[in-house]
Amino acid sequence: MILAPVGWLARVLDPPLRALQRVGGRNGMAIFFVAPNMLIFGIFVLIPLVINFAYSMTGGGALFLGDRIFVGGEQYGRLFDCGNYLEPNSCREDLFWTAVWNTVFFVVLQVALMVGVALITALILNRDLKARSFWRAVFFFPVLLSPVVVGLIWRWILQRQGLLNYMIYELGFDPINWLVERNWAFAAAISVSVWAHMGFYALILLAGLQAIPKDLYEAAEMDGTRPARVFWRITLPLLAPNLLVVLVLTLIRAVQIFDEVYVLTGGGPGTSTLFITQYIYEVGFASLLRNPGLASAASILMGAVLVVLTLFQLGIARRGERRSAK
Amino acid sequence: MSRITLTDVSRSFGSVKVLHDINLDIRDGELIVFVGPSGCGKSTLLRLIAGLDRPTSGKIAINGEDVTRVAAADRGLAMVFQSYALYPHMSVRQNLAFGLENARMPKPEIEQRIAEAARMLNIEPYLDRRPGQLSGGQRQRVAIGRAIVRNPTAFLLDEPLSNLDAELRISTRAELAALHERLSATMIYVTHDQIEAMTLADRIVVLRDGRIEQVGTPLDLYNKPANLFVAGFIGAPRMNFLPSDKLPGTAGSTVGIRPQHLRAADGKAKLKAKVTLVEALGYETVVHGLLDDLPLLAVLPGQKSFEAGDTIALTYDAENLHAFDEQGQRVD
Ligand SMILES: Nc1ncnc2c1ncn2[C@@H]1O[C@H](COP(=O)(O)OP(=O)(O)O)[C@@H](O)[C@H]1O
Ligand SMILES: [Mg+2]
Repeated sequence: MILAPVGWLARVLDPPLRALQRVGGRNGMAIFFVAPNMLIFGIFVLIPLVINFAYSMTGGGALFLGDRIFVGGEQYGRLFDCGNYLEPNSCREDLFWTAVWNTVFFVVLQVALMVGVALITALILNRDLKARSFWRAVFFFPVLLSPVVVGLIWRWILQRQGLLNYMIYELGFDPINWLVERNWAFAAAISVSVWAHMGFYALILLAGLQAIPKDLYEAAEMDGTRPARVFWRITLPLLAPNLLVVLVLTLIRAVQIFDEVYVLTGGGPGTSTLFITQYIYEVGFASLLRNPGLASAASILMGAVLVVLTLFQLGIARRGERRSAK
Repeated sequence: MSRITLTDVSRSFGSVKVLHDINLDIRDGELIVFVGPSGCGKSTLLRLIAGLDRPTSGKIAINGEDVTRVAAADRGLAMVFQSYALYPHMSVRQNLAFGLENARMPKPEIEQRIAEAARMLNIEPYLDRRPGQLSGGQRQRVAIGRAIVRNPTAFLLDEPLSNLDAELRISTRAELAALHERLSATMIYVTHDQIEAMTLADRIVVLRDGRIEQVGTPLDLYNKPANLFVAGFIGAPRMNFLPSDKLPGTAGSTVGIRPQHLRAADGKAKLKAKVTLVEALGYETVVHGLLDDLPLLAVLPGQKSFEAGDTIALTYDAENLHAFDEQGQRVD
């Protein structure tokens, strides 16, 4: 019944499509169907990428590419002009290197925390607990929130006169300036982004846990295996493919961290939560000394890092496919 | 040494009672087969004995010692799962060693036990492969090997042959019988296949809907089925059942006769049946017939020249009749 319009549509579309196939052949039809998608991909991804690369070879403050001066690799040279890469103050673009190292720290800590918390959550959700789908929804819910909303919620909670400090004060302790003190702000950036995305990764891991045959655990029980050994020798190795996927996905997302932290801390205090995407955004669009060429060069470099990570992920996915095909 | 005693064992899942007051005494060293149609509770019963599940009520004892609340690993039993349940990411050797390592057995002894089991089961060439690289039959052996190395007091096997093809099933069945001889350990073997039960068992336990219908040696069950269910379940093709007034000189309300116990009559016929289908197998002839509209099956030795539509005369020996009362219980 519901499908009736579909059948009608198919009948109407059939003759012209057949005519087209006679003209273009089978491969022509394939191109015809893929073309709209390729068009969108080209306009919004491929062409901007090329333009971005062109921008990174130009200098000055002008916005239109035609008005800009070709400078070759000068912008890249400027980014890498550094006395000691570990010491941002010795670099010409000290903010860039501050953002790079902040991002590296953030990625290492956030990915470790994310994978750990997601794994623990998945293990708990995999138990025979009451109202399992309710808890699953609770942990997944933040994933559905817009990053800006996430940032706002946690700003209300963490700001000087926010919810958390109110509760701390009521309990008789001294309030802490969560978003103003360097280390607390950094910790807040990590925790909030973990809170916001953890549910998604926990779900991937939960699916992996549920795919492990129950009778392996029964065999282990017959074998008298202690729970810790069951975890290390059975659960973890069999979950490894899912863990690797989660690891790489969180890695890619963490490198790109921006929106929720930007709303939460604005990169502060000072530059202590300034990450690479925010640096690019500010140099490109927001700062007084706007330099689109420099921002483009930085984004091309970041893109290169992401390409490497993505290739790594694709490699894993393909290996997984081969294994399951066996 | 392992004598397993079940006393009034019941198991319910929610409001559904799956096992009803099972009483059973499994003797030391015997190969006992639980047989019954799918869903009758065989696996559930085996899992209760294994300790993977707990009875809702009742008692399980091994060698007189109550183990109802004892953990699976501490019962000294080993299980062979229907799916084999081999650890897929470990080599065959690691699969065999895993349980022994749990028990903190010294390495040389582990090595020795693995070598012994591997020799017994002919899996030496595969010790360093993973289960995924083995055929179904080889995996099956590894699963049995994993049970053997633990040197258990009893083996529990849940439909161990059901994932093998027909030919392999028959040869593996024979090997299992030989293995039982050799290890002289108690074995509890679950199957839905009555032929498997008949060929392997010292004693058979027939289960239906969570109740024991009969316990006995294969020939006990064949010669003296306690009720209509066992009579119909054991023996292939299925026993013929007829109202007793169709067969002169019989007692009870229903009378059963096995298809193989009907003979073509030369002289005085006791039955006349109309042939509906003839299956000539060469060494025997399976005749489907109707006796006053009631189906009747006869398996006659050798080759016969019957055709559909013929009326044939059949006879039997009175001692091969089985009589059952209105409740379906055997009357002698
Ligand atoms: N964990 C369980 N929860 C609910 N019902 C179960 C469970 N395990 C088994 N059953 C039910 O118990 C009955 C017997 O199952 P089982 O012992 O597996 O049968 P068999 O092995 O004889 O085929 C079936 O009706 C099955 O649906
Ligand atoms: Mg079963």
